[in-house]
Amino acid sequence: MGVVRQEKSSELCVVVRARDLTKIYHRGAEEVRAVDGVSFEIERGEFVAVVGPSGAGKTTLLQLLGGMDRPSSGSLSIAGRNLANLSDSELTRLRRDEIGFVFQHFGLIPTLTVAENIALPGLFSGRQVKDRVTDLMDRVGIAHRRSHRPSQLSGGEMQRVAIARSLVNFPSLLLADEPTGNLDSQTSERIIDLLSSLGSDNLTVVVVTHNERLAEAARRSLVLCDGRLA
Amino acid sequence: MILELVRLAIKNLSRRRLRSSVTAAGVAIAVAALYSLVSFQRGYQSGLKSELDRLGAHLLVVPKGCPYDAASIALHGASWPCYLKSEYLESVRTTPNVSVAAPVFMSAVYTPDTGVQSVYCGVERNILGVKRTWRVQGRFPASGEVLVGSEQASSHKWRIGETVGLPGLPNRTAKISGVIDATQGADDLFYFLPLKDAQRIFGRLQELTHILVRLDRPERMEEVVNSLRGCGAGLEMNVVPLAHLFHTIENLVQSTRMLLGCVALVALLAAGAGLSNTVLMAVVERTREIGVLRAIGASAGNIFSLIWVETQALCMAGCAVGIVVAAFGSRWIEEWLRSRLPFAPHGTLVRPEALVIALCLVSTLVIGTLAGLLPAWRAAKMAPVEAIRAAGGA
Repeated sequence: MGVVRQEKSSELCVVVRARDLTKIYHRGAEEVRAVDGVSFEIERGEFVAVVGPSGAGKTTLLQLLGGMDRPSSGSLSIAGRNLANLSDSELTRLRRDEIGFVFQHFGLIPTLTVAENIALPGLFSGRQVKDRVTDLMDRVGIAHRRSHRPSQLSGGEMQRVAIARSLVNFPSLLLADEPTGNLDSQTSERIIDLLSSLGSDNLTVVVVTHNERLAEAARRSLVLCDGRLA
Repeated sequence: MILELVRLAIKNLSRRRLRSSVTAAGVAIAVAALYSLVSFQRGYQSGLKSELDRLGAHLLVVPKGCPYDAASIALHGASWPCYLKSEYLESVRTTPNVSVAAPVFMSAVYTPDTGVQSVYCGVERNILGVKRTWRVQGRFPASGEVLVGSEQASSHKWRIGETVGLPGLPNRTAKISGVIDATQGADDLFYFLPLKDAQRIFGRLQELTHILVRLDRPERMEEVVNSLRGCGAGLEMNVVPLAHLFHTIENLVQSTRMLLGCVALVALLAAGAGLSNTVLMAVVERTREIGVLRAIGASAGNIFSLIWVETQALCMAGCAVGIVVAAFGSRWIEEWLRSRLPFAPHGTLVRPEALVIALCLVSTLVIGTLAGLLPAWRAAKMAPVEAIRAAGGA
């Protein structure tokens, strides 16, 4: 009885569960195993770094975790939902409600202001996010730039806006692809501090990075090499 | 959400202002052509109909020759190349079912100094039985008097009872017996003299230019026309039923309208193709951005709507500009059309109408919808994974 309760409790704590996860691409006649039989679990509130050399399959893994691509084989569940059983529209809902994305290239809409960019996911979820946007701008320290456009911001400011945007819909999982890749070392430090602080909200953070300092800041690292966990 | 989507779409369009402006200008030109064509068609039809209604007659009896030229002269006023003998009037009057047969002698005088043409009509009192919409201030002219159209009276500042020199006729004077209230037709520009006076002044005693005929029972027009064509004077005159004239002129103008219609249609299709191409290009350029939107929760439907709304916004902006340009440029458009038409009624031909504006909006909506389908579909089916791939990930 006690064992069952413990399993259920552990089940509730796991946000990401991958079992023998594989992604195969076909490049002409050649078969590329970008992710090859990877298994792991990530618990709520964990800050995990995915590291490895270029071409190791880090970004492909992130795409799978984000429900933007489907695995060739194996199983993957995010926030208790098995991605294999989800339709395209259910995957969209999962991305919208459970997952936040931060891109290396920031991915901000150049014609929108800082506040409008942060509020954008709310447009698709139909939520009233005005107060949430104000809170997030304060939290990432960008409130004084609320009416500015991305072209008027520095790289660090743009990434802070992107992080705020990823948090608008209260996700349980934040995925960041090289969030410091386009930033200088001083600005990178601030972004690392910001990402590290998110764990205190029970938010699970997975970052793909080459940045050693960011990998060190993570509680755990998944090292990928040729699509496999080292 | 829809409003937010529209705002987002408009902001996206402002990103490439020059390209958006050029595309919208293409739509504007097409819409302006459509607006002008439809306005002209409606204005022409109603102008022609009211001009014929103002003439008040069911039949027009004119000398042998082209009946349409004759009808145009009778409607707009000019010198006639040939004449009817006055004695034919009696044959017309005695034809069964003819209620009024009003003889007219019309001549125009050109004054080279001023460049003004003055049109004189010799009429008998029974013209009032045909021109039933006339409101005459004063009375019908007796010999030595003149009844003046409203525009001539106001431009010369003439008053009833005043004796004036007849324009274009040196040493001829007449007393103004009355002024006709504005008819919004060519009658406002004419001088009406007693028939005998006009025949004497222009040296055509015993001659008429046309006879306006009103019937007791218009539904029996064919019988009257056949009787008139079969009478003794029938070989010397043309009997023109004005309803037939209306349809014939309409048919003559139809070819011009068809040509303009084809131009408007081709312009609309070309604008639609240009629009589709522009938006398609924008979709390709924004692949990464669309991927990012999909990654942060936009559904395929959201992306489809966004691109479709962008296309519609561009199309509607072009439509609005096109309507405004056509409305303000209608004077020039009308002049251009008049110079190319065999017959154009008096009054405004191209005028703004809610129905025409609605037609332009609906046409633009259809073109925008069709033009937006391909780029919107292409954007919607884009896989979200494009976002990270476009970012150069492994």
